[in-house]
Amino acid sequence: MMAELGEGVKPIAGGTDLIVNMRRGAATPEHVLSLGRIKELCAMDLSGSTLRIGACCTVASVAESSNIASRFPALCEGALSLGSPLIRNLATAGGNLVTARPAADLPPPLMAYDGSVTLQSSCGKRVVALDRFFVGPGRTAMKPTEILTSIVLETPAAFSGASYIKLGTRRALEISIASVACFLSLERPGGKILAARVVLGAVAPFPMRAGDAEKTLIGEIPSPPLFLKAGQAAAAESKPIDDHRGTAEYRRDMVSVLTQKMLGVALERANASE
Amino acid sequence: MKKTIHITVNNKPVDLEVQPNQTLLEVIRERLRLTGTKAGCLAGDCGACTVLLDGKPINSCLVLAVQAHGKQIMTIEGVETPQGLHPLQAAFVNKGAIQCGYCTPGMILTAKSLLKRSPKADEAQIRKAISGNLCRCTGYQKIVEAILFASRSSL
Repeated sequence: MMAELGEGVKPIAGGTDLIVNMRRGAATPEHVLSLGRIKELCAMDLSGSTLRIGACCTVASVAESSNIASRFPALCEGALSLGSPLIRNLATAGGNLVTARPAADLPPPLMAYDGSVTLQSSCGKRVVALDRFFVGPGRTAMKPTEILTSIVLETPAAFSGASYIKLGTRRALEISIASVACFLSLERPGGKILAARVVLGAVAPFPMRAGDAEKTLIGEIPSPPLFLKAGQAAAAESKPIDDHRGTAEYRRDMVSVLTQKMLGVALERANASE
Repeated sequence: MKKTIHITVNNKPVDLEVQPNQTLLEVIRERLRLTGTKAGCLAGDCGACTVLLDGKPINSCLVLAVQAHGKQIMTIEGVETPQGLHPLQAAFVNKGAIQCGYCTPGMILTAKSLLKRSPKADEAQIRKAISGNLCRCTGYQKIVEAILFASRSSL
């Protein structure tokens, strides 16, 4: 149907973004195609170490999933930061990705876990790492005839931990001033950092990996001075703008603070994990 | 190009012909004349339009009526029991948790869904649950007290 209707068609899932944009006149699709009744898109399943989240799973179902809480706690934190309880009952995991808002709450934790997405059109299926999915504000690597069908996460190795935090001026219905997700994988509790991912939200045109911060961390023994260096590196490579939510200078400072904080939480979780 | 939908509203089955671009909120207020559900910001920010969709509180301004096909909807008009006011409604009245009343239907429906899931919800859980329902009169204190009272008396 997507292929038949061409460019004038817009898929709708939770509608929490599309309906508002249509009402404002910011989106004017000729056709709206509901994905809500495709059962496969609403399923979440864990097989072996792979978790597949159907694109139409609500954000509330992500927040409440015991598999996600135990294996991917940072994603749970992201889901609970999104919108309000009412919005989370409608909004979908896939929707929070395809809208590609720079301040969206699910991309940073999903990228911290090195997640990918499955895209499908009538011509076939492909898997794209989230690192390469976002290309600009509101823009993704998806073709107009494709839909996002699922999000795929691999359970991290032993001695890994991740965390997510969002800075806003209120605790619900908030668009982030800055947000940070961190992932650390240790060789053993108290040991060297084998893998690190630092993802920044709301401080660049799209959710970004802080590569310099990650390089600072890999191969080192975790310590507050190391985390300070990583935080400063993340702040330096962030590309925030001034707007009514905060100045670029404030955002950059907060990137450093939040990164240090989240590395600390990720470390605690990595040390406690098996 | 109207579409026929079948929904259950306050336990009564309803068949309706709706426009594909009509929201559930518009259908509830203008077709079913259940005006207890309020239109506020129309952007999902205020929660005045809250209804329960299959038992879960949602912003009815963000749902197309056609998307509600086959689902159960409860509005504030369906909350009252044959014995009279629902304990939550009675608590809102007795605790003075209503001023202008615009947020009240949404608050009560959100609270009803919370107490169904967690009958012994504490203050922190209540404040989190109603964080998508804005009140511009009371400052929330009395609303929280009313829900807390209803949660205690349901034990």
